[in-house]
Amino acid sequence: MPRGRTSIDIQRIGAYVTIAVALVITLFPVYWIAANSFKYDIDIFSIPPQWLPSNPTLKHYHAAFIERPFLIYALNSLIIAASTTLVSVVFGSMAGYALARFQYPGRWRYQISFWILSTRMMPPIVTIIPLYIAFNYLGMLNTKPAVIIAYTAFNLPFATWMMKSYFQDLPVELEEAAMVDGDTRWGAFLHVALPLARPGLAATAIFCLIISWNEFLLALVLTLTERSQTLPIGIAGRVTQYSTYWGEISAAGFTACIPIMIFAFIVQKHLVRGISFGAVKG
Amino acid sequence: MTSVTFQGVVKKFGEFIAVNDLNLEVRDKEFLVLLGPSGCGKTTTMRMVAGLEEVSAGDIFIGGDRVNDVLPKYRDVAMVFQSYALYPHFSVADNIGYPLKIRKVPEEKRRQMVMEVARRVELDRLLDRLPKELSGGQRQRVALARAIIRTPKVFLMDEPLSNLDAKLRVQMRAELKHLQHELQVTTIYVTHDQIEAMTLAHRVAVMSRGVIEQLGTPKEIYNNPRTLFVAGFIGSPPMNLIDGEVSDGAFTSAGGIKIGGLGHSNVADAVLGVRPEDAHLLPGGSGKANVTAPIYSVELTGESTLVTVRAGDSLFTLRADKSFVGDFDQMVNVSFAPERVFLFDRKSQNRVDF
Repeated sequence: MPRGRTSIDIQRIGAYVTIAVALVITLFPVYWIAANSFKYDIDIFSIPPQWLPSNPTLKHYHAAFIERPFLIYALNSLIIAASTTLVSVVFGSMAGYALARFQYPGRWRYQISFWILSTRMMPPIVTIIPLYIAFNYLGMLNTKPAVIIAYTAFNLPFATWMMKSYFQDLPVELEEAAMVDGDTRWGAFLHVALPLARPGLAATAIFCLIISWNEFLLALVLTLTERSQTLPIGIAGRVTQYSTYWGEISAAGFTACIPIMIFAFIVQKHLVRGISFGAVKG
Repeated sequence: MTSVTFQGVVKKFGEFIAVNDLNLEVRDKEFLVLLGPSGCGKTTTMRMVAGLEEVSAGDIFIGGDRVNDVLPKYRDVAMVFQSYALYPHFSVADNIGYPLKIRKVPEEKRRQMVMEVARRVELDRLLDRLPKELSGGQRQRVALARAIIRTPKVFLMDEPLSNLDAKLRVQMRAELKHLQHELQVTTIYVTHDQIEAMTLAHRVAVMSRGVIEQLGTPKEIYNNPRTLFVAGFIGSPPMNLIDGEVSDGAFTSAGGIKIGGLGHSNVADAVLGVRPEDAHLLPGGSGKANVTAPIYSVELTGESTLVTVRAGDSLFTLRADKSFVGDFDQMVNVSFAPERVFLFDRKSQNRVDF
């Protein structure tokens, strides 16, 4: 009895404090760029810091999106991230399903799975020169398809593995029932397995989207102009030889967070279910 | 006219032989039960008929056509899974109508057929529900309805009643039997429950370790078991199997059980089989007893009393009248009906005829 209440209270307070600290650490940068994006340059550096813009302005938004081509960067980012996600999820589901369900001689299921995963093991920087040479040879440098292909190469193994584990958690009898009921294997996949793997699809999609939306290194090397440059590259471009345009960087950076946040809100329900899907069966 | 024929069918999983040289003909319109303990290959056998497992060797024929390499969808069989395998994202109506939808039956016709079948299994009020909103018995009916909606060549049922509670199981058993009689569709039914097998089957195939131990009508299997395995597997409570030896037609066990008149057989490692209902309690002091032993326990089941006695270090059970009253350790005289006992050879596991 004496142990009961107080120790539970302490535990609860401890949990809330931990969450609060984590939230401050993760959300402070977002808050800070949001606040800075509405300040005049002089206020950004004022000491003591201005927690909220005393004299709010849309000047930096105007500079970034009207005077400079950030709208085009954003569009490029959107096209590239969406295409990468679509291709990765479509082919990742099919490959994951094949690995989860089909019979392979000997240990080939493991070998193939491991081989797919192993492509993620080297640091991306290692592949940059070969990729650059390959795309140069194909005349694809500074094009969106080149970036999409490169991103897909990095996202597909990940999508395949994620979808494989979701399909493995689905009871196989459901697809067997569909096949005995008159469906083909493809039909069983399309009508039964895929709809049931929706949480997995949502989780895989959001991970692919975040990774390709935020990617910097490959885009930096493979793109040159606003024809194919993405938001992270555009933002980095405002750190120039003579000056760093913090206001524009904040305005563009804060805007770049918004689509991901919207998407995360939409798929949030699926995402939580998706992540815990394997752990709590049935 | 749909028979299902197995010719020398073998199924291997790596080195493990799940089904070994199976030869069996399931006759047209027959209700055949594959009965055996878990791991005996009965479900694998059924899955090979459905096309869900490849055949390692031998041939399977459905209605005269060799189906080894035919996709499940072209075999025209319907299967009821142990877990029911209802599509969780479809309503009851869509679940039942799925085989028709795949076959592109027009929507109007489909709805009509679903309604008809649903009425038959008393699901017509639940058509809009999702499987998770149904009870176990209702789910079972949905699985059944999905199987019967298209009158397939063969029904395959994989322990369809094992997830139901005892009362519902008995009720569904009768319904299943009646349904099969009405539809006149060849049926293969897998179960480990010997009562289900006895009550449902036209013929029972008792399987063990990938081979059929005995094939016959329930009556034959019960009254004339050919092997020790079949004898011990069928019957509830099971047949008493008592180790001993037979010389010149007289059986003797270490526990003092004696019975003569077994022809002129001689078996060193013999097993005597006696069904509980074929052993009788004799009134005290009778000299005709096969054994006199103390009571180990008395269980009233309602329609009879099961009396277990201890002879030496072995126990055996007999079925006495429901009016029987006895105490622990009370000595009783037991006699066996000599024409109703079986003799087996422990070494070969086979019946010894006398």
